[in-house]
Amino acid sequence: MYVRALAFTPVERLQGLAQKIYYVHVPVAIYALAAFAVTGLLSIAYLWLRDERIDRAAEASAEVGVVFSVVMLISGPLWGKPVWGTWWAWDARLTSTLFIFLLFVGYLIMRGAIVEVDLRARFSAVLGILGLALVPFIHLTVYLFRTIHPQPILFKPSAPSLPGVMLTTILLSLGVFTLLYVGFTTQRYAVASLRALREEELLSDA
Amino acid sequence: MRDYLGVVWAIVVKDATVEWRTKTAFMSAVVFAILVLSILYFARDPTAVSSMDIAPGALWVTFTFAAMVGLNRAFLLERENQAIDGMLLTPVPRTAIFVGKMTGNLLFVGFVELISVPLFVLFYNVSLAGRLPQLLAVTAMATLAFVAVGTLLSAMAVRTRFAELMLPILLLPFLIPPVVGAVQLTSRILAARPASELMGWFKLLAAFDIVFCVLAILLYEATLDE
Amino acid sequence: MTDPLLVTEAVTRRYGYRRVFADVTFSLRRGEVLALLGPNGAGKTTLLRVLAGLLRPSGGSVTRNGTVGLVAHNSMAYDALTARENLAFAAKLWGIVDPERVEELLDRLGLVRWQDQRVATFSRGMTQRLAIARALIHQPDILLLDEPFHSLDDPGVADVVRLLGELVSEGRGRGRGRAIVLVTHQLERLVQLATSVGYLVHGTLVGPEPMDDRSVETIAARYRGLLNRA
Repeated sequence: MYVRALAFTPVERLQGLAQKIYYVHVPVAIYALAAFAVTGLLSIAYLWLRDERIDRAAEASAEVGVVFSVVMLISGPLWGKPVWGTWWAWDARLTSTLFIFLLFVGYLIMRGAIVEVDLRARFSAVLGILGLALVPFIHLTVYLFRTIHPQPILFKPSAPSLPGVMLTTILLSLGVFTLLYVGFTTQRYAVASLRALREEELLSDA
Repeated sequence: MRDYLGVVWAIVVKDATVEWRTKTAFMSAVVFAILVLSILYFARDPTAVSSMDIAPGALWVTFTFAAMVGLNRAFLLERENQAIDGMLLTPVPRTAIFVGKMTGNLLFVGFVELISVPLFVLFYNVSLAGRLPQLLAVTAMATLAFVAVGTLLSAMAVRTRFAELMLPILLLPFLIPPVVGAVQLTSRILAARPASELMGWFKLLAAFDIVFCVLAILLYEATLDE
Repeated sequence: MTDPLLVTEAVTRRYGYRRVFADVTFSLRRGEVLALLGPNGAGKTTLLRVLAGLLRPSGGSVTRNGTVGLVAHNSMAYDALTARENLAFAAKLWGIVDPERVEELLDRLGLVRWQDQRVATFSRGMTQRLAIARALIHQPDILLLDEPFHSLDDPGVADVVRLLGELVSEGRGRGRGRAIVLVTHQLERLVQLATSVGYLVHGTLVGPEPMDDRSVETIAARYRGLLNRA
């Protein structure tokens, strides 16, 4: 997986080094948002079914999502500086991702502050659902903000028709990140399950 | 329905009585409001930034931060002596408990805002003439927004290890749509901008209010042990 | 003969991964006082909360054929309010319109002298009386008490014992007597009040066994025996 991730970057050689970040930045952003949606949907599922494994999966997705968000938030400015001339511009996507990141972090902090498994799962589910409902509003807010304060800089070089090489690369990259997301999340879920099993063993002996 | 509202009101009155007798949360919130308003006024170069520029932002930061000081008090009260169990043992619908707490918080924050506004007008030399109805509407809608979410989050925060810290951390992302909207609207209303510029934000606030009030009321029961 | 007031059927309660107790089965009729003995952490408080309806059983069922009042470790009172205000609020929540009810309870529990004093100033004994008053406000058929004698002085204990005796026998003639579940460590009180004893040990309920004429020593020996059975 990681070999593939490294291998595809040499394929692209046009338009300067900075543009290459696009291949990481875009899929990561998509999956950060997807991870968030997954956590939100799993939260709804948890309150409905009350299966602890659903909560574990939600947590796994959230942790992966945080990491992906951070990568997105770092790669964004790295790409932006050479292209736009500034590290940060309150463009729609970066801003929304920033707040999704903060929601993730809050979610994980809250989980860290609750010891009892059942309480933690329920509260996380409530927060997950609230967060899911919030995201459209954040997008709306940023959109409204921008239409009234137009940015002098383009927020994203839109490339509706990608030349063949770039298209393959981005698709390949998307594929890689799909694998990464699924891989990381399932791994994290497995760790959580193992941890839960061990706790169960420890406590049943008591 | 009448019983439902009667119960909600009983909870509001009870909370208000307790708060009136102890006064701690209210005093803290008011002091906080005064401090924040003052600090924000002074934290700028008066020759470069006019007070009008930062006024709407200062007002709303003051409102929300002072509110956060007080939001936890509603559910913290029920933790002492496990009074919440006393309520849960009765046939009172759980949503009524939440609505009661939320209403209490709304009144609390409302009073803090009421006290803050004259200070705001005084410090920032702002004229509210003729714009009161719209400003009232904005304030009401935005306050409802963050109190609804804040009350639900505080129901959870008070049961975690760092309740006072946990609430702001959890609440802040949810403040973005209502507070940005409120600041935008406040600044435009004060600048007497035409209604067309305001409608988008008003709709955002209204939608937020509806979605999150309903969601908060529905989700409260999930925070209770069963 | 009427239906039992309270029936539990293989009730289990889990907490996280732990099973607090399992297979708790008993039924309680009017006029009965079931005493529960068990070591600390055995889950007696949890069991009472399940019986009261504050918690749902993880397994099994609880059937209530009457209303329940709970006197817990915590008073469930608001310290900043007076005794009267606390009771009035509880009455409001129960939908009780008759203002006399609060007066009766204040009188019966000997709280009239302090009715307009804030609970924050109350002694433990007074708070306990208020807690009992609050539990009785809706005239429950079943009364659950979690260590009601804990840290009460002798006169306080005597008062509570007398009150519980009255509560059980009240209305018996009219077929309206109450049932009580009493968690306590104090065997002398237990012997005075209980009609049956259950032992919550090693994660399950042993009994209930009828009291008959058992003495403190007999109960203590039985309890010790069960604890050591491991």
